[in-house]
Amino acid sequence: MNVQRHRLPNGLRIAVAPISGLRSVATLLAVEAGQWFEPAGRPGVARLCAQAMLRGTTKRDAKSWADALDAIGAAARLDVGSHAATFSAQSLAEDVGELLALMAEAVVTPAFAPKEVELVRQQTVAQLEEDSRNTRAVAEQVWRELVYPPAHPFHARPIGDPAVVRAATAEELRAYHQRAIRPDGAVLVVAGGIEAKRLFGEAERAFTEWSARGPREPRSVPSVSLGGTVRRIEIVPDKTQSDVVLGWPGLPRTDPRFVPARVTNMVFAADTFASRAGHVVRDELGLAYYVFSTLGTSRGQSPWTVRMGVNPINVERAVSVTLDELRKIVAGKVSEDDLELAQDKLVGELDVARESPGGVASLMLEGEVFELGPDHVERYPRELRAVTLDHVIETARAFLPPDRHALAIAGPPLPVAD
Amino acid sequence: MHALEARHAPVVSLWVWYQVGGRNEVPGTTGMSHFLEHMLFKGTPAHPKGDLDKLLARYGALWNAFTSEDVTCYFETVPKERYAVALELEADRMRNALISPEETEAERTVIVSEREGLENDPSFLLGEQLQRIAFSRHTYGQGVIGSKEEIKLMTRDGLYAHYRRHYAPNNAYFIVAGDASATELLDRAAAAFGPLEAEAPSEPPKAPEPPQYGEKRVIVRRAGGALPILQVGYHAPCASDPRAPALSMLAVALAGATAGGGETASGRSSRLYRALVDTGLATAVDASFQLMKDPYLFVVEAHLRSGVTHEQVERVILDELARTAREALSVDEFARTRRQMLSASAFMTDTITWRAFRFGQLLATGAASSLAEWYDRLAAVTAEEIRAAADAVFQEKSRVVGWFIPEAS
Repeated sequence: MNVQRHRLPNGLRIAVAPISGLRSVATLLAVEAGQWFEPAGRPGVARLCAQAMLRGTTKRDAKSWADALDAIGAAARLDVGSHAATFSAQSLAEDVGELLALMAEAVVTPAFAPKEVELVRQQTVAQLEEDSRNTRAVAEQVWRELVYPPAHPFHARPIGDPAVVRAATAEELRAYHQRAIRPDGAVLVVAGGIEAKRLFGEAERAFTEWSARGPREPRSVPSVSLGGTVRRIEIVPDKTQSDVVLGWPGLPRTDPRFVPARVTNMVFAADTFASRAGHVVRDELGLAYYVFSTLGTSRGQSPWTVRMGVNPINVERAVSVTLDELRKIVAGKVSEDDLELAQDKLVGELDVARESPGGVASLMLEGEVFELGPDHVERYPRELRAVTLDHVIETARAFLPPDRHALAIAGPPLPVAD
Repeated sequence: MHALEARHAPVVSLWVWYQVGGRNEVPGTTGMSHFLEHMLFKGTPAHPKGDLDKLLARYGALWNAFTSEDVTCYFETVPKERYAVALELEADRMRNALISPEETEAERTVIVSEREGLENDPSFLLGEQLQRIAFSRHTYGQGVIGSKEEIKLMTRDGLYAHYRRHYAPNNAYFIVAGDASATELLDRAAAAFGPLEAEAPSEPPKAPEPPQYGEKRVIVRRAGGALPILQVGYHAPCASDPRAPALSMLAVALAGATAGGGETASGRSSRLYRALVDTGLATAVDASFQLMKDPYLFVVEAHLRSGVTHEQVERVILDELARTAREALSVDEFARTRRQMLSASAFMTDTITWRAFRFGQLLATGAASSLAEWYDRLAAVTAEEIRAAADAVFQEKSRVVGWFIPEAS
């Protein structure tokens, strides 16, 4: 993959992978303004700020900005995660200059007009109401509450806490924007039918006004650990299925044990068919339609969780067999074949992701955001291959103790045990 | 068989589109095509259960299957050097799936679990009811996944007979796209599928939907959702109808090219977003015209804000739909709609998997015989054709309306 890089005077790092023969371009602008950067006790401010950035700038109102975006037919969205606020878009290659100008306008000069902030707030409150009856959302929130203390940035989901969302003001969002939405620490990753030189020129034009005031505030995410097993069941009325989140606090992406952890995750439960728990829960026992695990990427201990949708009568068994598979890994009862399958899948996926500009941009993003080195994309498959069985066993023992986990269940009441 | 060259990545995507889906089922066996789709992953004599999953996992493949009212579709996107194996797996399971009684029982609970997961979603519950009342005769009214009771009653022998009847080379489209010449891709496909025997063609279902002579309504009340939902559907033409491109554009004009929640920035210039979301009446709105073999539905769905009534939102939607039927889009609005539609087509075809999907969808539904033909037809749509299509479809007497009303828990 031919990746070319450039850094603007304001600190914005740019990486571009030209792909000939494509008409479109995928663009990702990641600003290190996720949950970890939120003011203590103000969960939801980062997402509110990001959403308000899409509702008008100092140069044009929300309606005109939306008209301009749709006039180039771009598909765009702005998401906030534990680590970054990421503006992701796809446009025709010929429109990339206009797209970057619109992104820059929203990111650099948002208006935070009180009327628009109010609309974003009301929309968010409505989403929180809806989530209160959504078993997946409830299970995730309960799990976070079990693992992260109230002041921890990952205690709430990125959508935030209802009380904070209701109380946040336009001034608070403006202040957060000024502190967090900065070019230093931000990366612009582009892949598709465009030459690097042209892209660098367009990016320079678009983001030249973006500047940072003062040095970046130092940030660290408090560490957490589970003292024992904790579990909570939340009844959500009129549901048929239970959603289950079983998990542990993970590890920072910058931790040298992260790549072994990613392989361990695949061996354990990341995939329904290639992973041990997925295979047993769905394929052998037919207990769930979906079961998979994810390991979050951030500079802190993002969730490392197994999720599944299970009939209430099967919840205890599904959790039990999942933990049994984990116990086998911890006890060293894991084969070279399990490891090779996990590595083959993770490496093979990197090749398949190259089929789309969005896939290529996503491959590049992690290395750029966490500054994993200019050769990360080439080196990463070798790092995956270098993981040994001993690494997997050590990682599982260190991070996934089967008898010290957090379990959240949301849905109908569970049957009472005999 | 059809092949598309796509040389920008060392990847090949192959798709098999069987001409069987929910429309081919009768009451008592609803969900059979979907159940069968699950069973195609349970092994053949040459590739016992687990072989296919593990091989594809080892390749890092993007692979899956889905069933719709019209078709059952299987696909794999794999590194180029693995293409031959994926092709062999697909050809093998076209005629040799085992569908054993033991695996049928094991998978039954998975499918019930899939159904129960859907039942947790109020939008699914309402949509299922809307579809049911919209079709009095056509099997589209049955949906795809089937009732839980019928899933529990499905027999292995019934599934196997369904499989043998419908899974044959003469009842499928095969699409391949990727990093090889079209000739090479086709030659390999012919070698894999050529030896398979054809099956006696099965009769397509014959239950055309008679005209509807008045609005139908349905209400779903449950505590399972916090906010009200409104769905408004209209009987609409099939994919091969000359108005299909204009109706696709109409959906974009009403709600944008990409559905999404608050995080989505595009489509906000659309009529219904402006009328419902910008005004604080709804949190999200979507409009869809699906490419289907037989006449189906044009559906608008809105998720209402707390305290807003169904009547309010329904009135706004009906007014906006009437306006699109009465007045052509303005020059700027038409330009935005057209650009969103054509850009979305380009985005789709820049991904090898979705390029193959789109081509298969156009062929299987009869919408067009090539990607270029469909693109050209979209590009040729005029503002007046969009208005005329809206006028033809948005008729009170062919309307179905569904309300999801949250109940206190």
